[in-house]
Amino acid sequence: MSDFEMELEVNGRKVRRRIEPGQRLLDFLRDDLNLTGTKEGCGAGECGTCSVFVDGKLVKSCLMPAAKAQGTKVETVEGLAKPGELTPVQRAFHKTGASQCGYCIPGMVMAATSALRENPDAGIDEIKERLGGNICRCTGYTKIFEAVELAREVIAGRLNPATLEADPAGESFIGNNVRRLDAPSKVSGRLRYAGDMVMPDMLHMQVLRSPHAHAKIRSIDTSAAEALDGVACVITCDDVPGEDGFGVFVHDQPVMARGKVRHVGEAVAAVAAEDIATARKALKLIRVDYEELPGLFDPEDAMQPGAPVIHDYAPDNIVKHIPVRKGDVEKGFAEADIIVEQTYETQQVEHAYLEPEAGIAYVDADDVVTVISPSQNITHHRHMLAHIIDRPINKVRFIMSPVGGGFGGKEDMIYQGMLALAAMKTHRPVKLVFTREESIIASAKRHPSRVTYRMGLKKNGRITAASFRMISDGGAYGMSTEGVMRKAAILSCGPYDIPNVQIDTYGVYTNNTPSGAFRTFGGMQAQFATESHLDICAEKLGLDPFEIRRINMMRDGAVTHTQQKLGSVSLARVLEAAEKASRWEAGPVGQRGPVRGDLGGEGTRQPCTLGSRIKSADGHNKEKVA
Amino acid sequence: MLTCDTYRLPTSLKEALALWAGAPEGSRLVAGATDILPWAREGRAGDVHLPEMIDVSRVAELCGYEIADGRVRLGANVAYQQFLTDPVLRSHLPCMPYCAVWFADDQIREQATLAGNIVNASPAADGVPPVIAMNGDIEMARLEGGEVVTRAMPVAEFIMGPGRTKLAGNEIVTAVTLDSMQGYGGSFQKVGQRRSLVISAVCCAALVKTDASGEVFEDVRLALGGVGPVPMRLTDIEDMLRGKRIDRKLIAEASVGPADRVASRSRVAYRKAVVSGFVEAAIEDALVELGAPEPTPEQREAAHV
Repeated sequence: MSDFEMELEVNGRKVRRRIEPGQRLLDFLRDDLNLTGTKEGCGAGECGTCSVFVDGKLVKSCLMPAAKAQGTKVETVEGLAKPGELTPVQRAFHKTGASQCGYCIPGMVMAATSALRENPDAGIDEIKERLGGNICRCTGYTKIFEAVELAREVIAGRLNPATLEADPAGESFIGNNVRRLDAPSKVSGRLRYAGDMVMPDMLHMQVLRSPHAHAKIRSIDTSAAEALDGVACVITCDDVPGEDGFGVFVHDQPVMARGKVRHVGEAVAAVAAEDIATARKALKLIRVDYEELPGLFDPEDAMQPGAPVIHDYAPDNIVKHIPVRKGDVEKGFAEADIIVEQTYETQQVEHAYLEPEAGIAYVDADDVVTVISPSQNITHHRHMLAHIIDRPINKVRFIMSPVGGGFGGKEDMIYQGMLALAAMKTHRPVKLVFTREESIIASAKRHPSRVTYRMGLKKNGRITAASFRMISDGGAYGMSTEGVMRKAAILSCGPYDIPNVQIDTYGVYTNNTPSGAFRTFGGMQAQFATESHLDICAEKLGLDPFEIRRINMMRDGAVTHTQQKLGSVSLARVLEAAEKASRWEAGPVGQRGPVRGDLGGEGTRQPCTLGSRIKSADGHNKEKVA
Repeated sequence: MLTCDTYRLPTSLKEALALWAGAPEGSRLVAGATDILPWAREGRAGDVHLPEMIDVSRVAELCGYEIADGRVRLGANVAYQQFLTDPVLRSHLPCMPYCAVWFADDQIREQATLAGNIVNASPAADGVPPVIAMNGDIEMARLEGGEVVTRAMPVAEFIMGPGRTKLAGNEIVTAVTLDSMQGYGGSFQKVGQRRSLVISAVCCAALVKTDASGEVFEDVRLALGGVGPVPMRLTDIEDMLRGKRIDRKLIAEASVGPADRVASRSRVAYRKAVVSGFVEAAIEDALVELGAPEPTPEQREAAHV
């Protein structure tokens, strides 16, 4: 390999470096120049977090070989404003609250800057179009678009720059705009997420993952990997000194596969080496002898008698069963005029936070094992890790780095244990950054669920009984399944006052990717079933969908099916507001004529179109021709 | 992860051809290079080591374009964004701004080239249907006895199947030559799983010219992508419309036939349904470009057979 002599201008300064010839511009900026405001969200050109200007044109630095930038002028988010200052675009992002986790924001600021440089008068459609290459998951696009429009007006001189200042403080935080304290660090790219952190003498970790869904591990041979130059250590479950096992409720998951693998992508071994390329080379030298076992991919199959057993402690493959009973459902069904039965399924969902999992672990001078990571549950992680590495709690420390989006997906300690073990084995800092592919294959997902609903109703719409049976795919490990099943059971029948209720939620082990915490924590799957079911019941009874809900809704003083007395219930007001906002055309389904009058109109999102910039440019051309 | 031993940035065609001819087995030629890094990742090619990468983006002969004798000769380095920003190209290639705006996103369009899109020969390539509708030829150069020798052939012949072309091992694509379509209305229809950064499930390019009265089809060009191993020019539909009076019913009739030509391996029923709607919409949008009133959604529904 012959090094490439790189010479270019970055943020107005001449830079000369010898680089690896195949290296990406993204890595050159982040690793060689420590300009970590440019983020990596996907490494495949999909997310836009790595956007930079090269000779004035916005490009994705994860798609550009660094050598391609030879002799060019590169501008990164750090170069937009002088230190301590912010550009009008950055200030507008601060003003409108267009930064939540902040991980996509430097890329968004770059795309917004590019949009307004290319067309200072860009309208909202063109702004949306020009930001089309950038993805956000938690801020939401509305505030970002507001920020770009605000910046456009200020730059054009149509709005006073004072508009970008904070609104005067109101008497209460409620009902007043309050700017985020951490927004300047996000819009400027200065905030360091775990993947942006470096420590002297740091090693890089890569993880060997299972290609099998269910297999016995006969042996793991790491000798060739350990012998490779540049490898500091290889770790497997044999390196765990304490009681191996973590999980939010049941500690059923080893730090790395122990004796068998239970899903594709499960960590089997990890290498810490001087650089990522060496660590990846070493992974290919690890020999794992697997004996494949029959796999279970549907929770109902896993519940059958005689099904293969995934965890010895749970011979029935049940992670958790939550039963709730209220009244007498059989009596309730007997009183009903109609009984409506239906099955509802929801699928696995990936959180897709823009920041892939990342962390650094080190052992400090007082032998405190320290892990820095965007963990959503550091105190629990600290307790679990203390048991796993057999150290007293005061010798284990977790530092929570800024979380670049979590949504529940960073509650599970799926990699922090490996980092700690490698740091203990080498006494050097060890860093691991997941690729997007790794994040998708190894992190928990939303529980796929199947709900069988049975509901008895009177002709007037009053519900007399409901039975709700949910089978959820918990995947290979317990993670948050127990809590998700509890919440699904608690929220199962929605905000409706039903006298007789029978609820069963089951979280079941399979050899699929583990399911875990995800926004709503089981509520979404239950509500999808309940609300769909009420619509179907309304249709069968010839009732307006709002009406059937009003007939059955909980009111002030209602008692939930888990015996909680509710002082005040706002559902009536919520229904009223929803009905008004949607300009609802009242009446039972199918009885409102062939064309609904409440579709489209103000506030309705129009279908996607592209090309507003062509139309405005063509307008100019036509004028000229005329 | 992509690694390579040597990265070359030749500045002349002769230098590039000499480097390419002498490059060790397994070396790669790149222009915009937007496809190669995602290719070298988990789930696709995995970790890839290349002996040499030869980047042709600075080869002077491959940059810029020329217009002569009713043909537009686009150097192989012309990137997609130019179809949106260059007023001359917009006027001569009126369907290309619409194709470009649906292609990837602003950032990638600054790098990705039309020639690279053709050489990759994806059945879903956005750029190929417009190119074949504009009678596109591809030009290739090689070294013979130290001299640059070129040959050209229609793009429709050049692309043999998914990922397969007639480009020889020692050749570099130097240009794509298209009919100048000045005075035509152009349009491009595309559907994929989302708006930006998506591969076409179906795409359709149209170019339409009317006579002086604006009431008769003087010429029509139509091509489909994403519906089989290679893109399809719809010459029979073009013939059916050429010289006819423009009429919504006629356009609707013309859009029915192509649905049967869907030869994809998956989502055939969906693609068939989309194709006839797209052919109709592509022709109508091209007419709108020429000043025809935009059809209302009701008119589109009513005329749809």
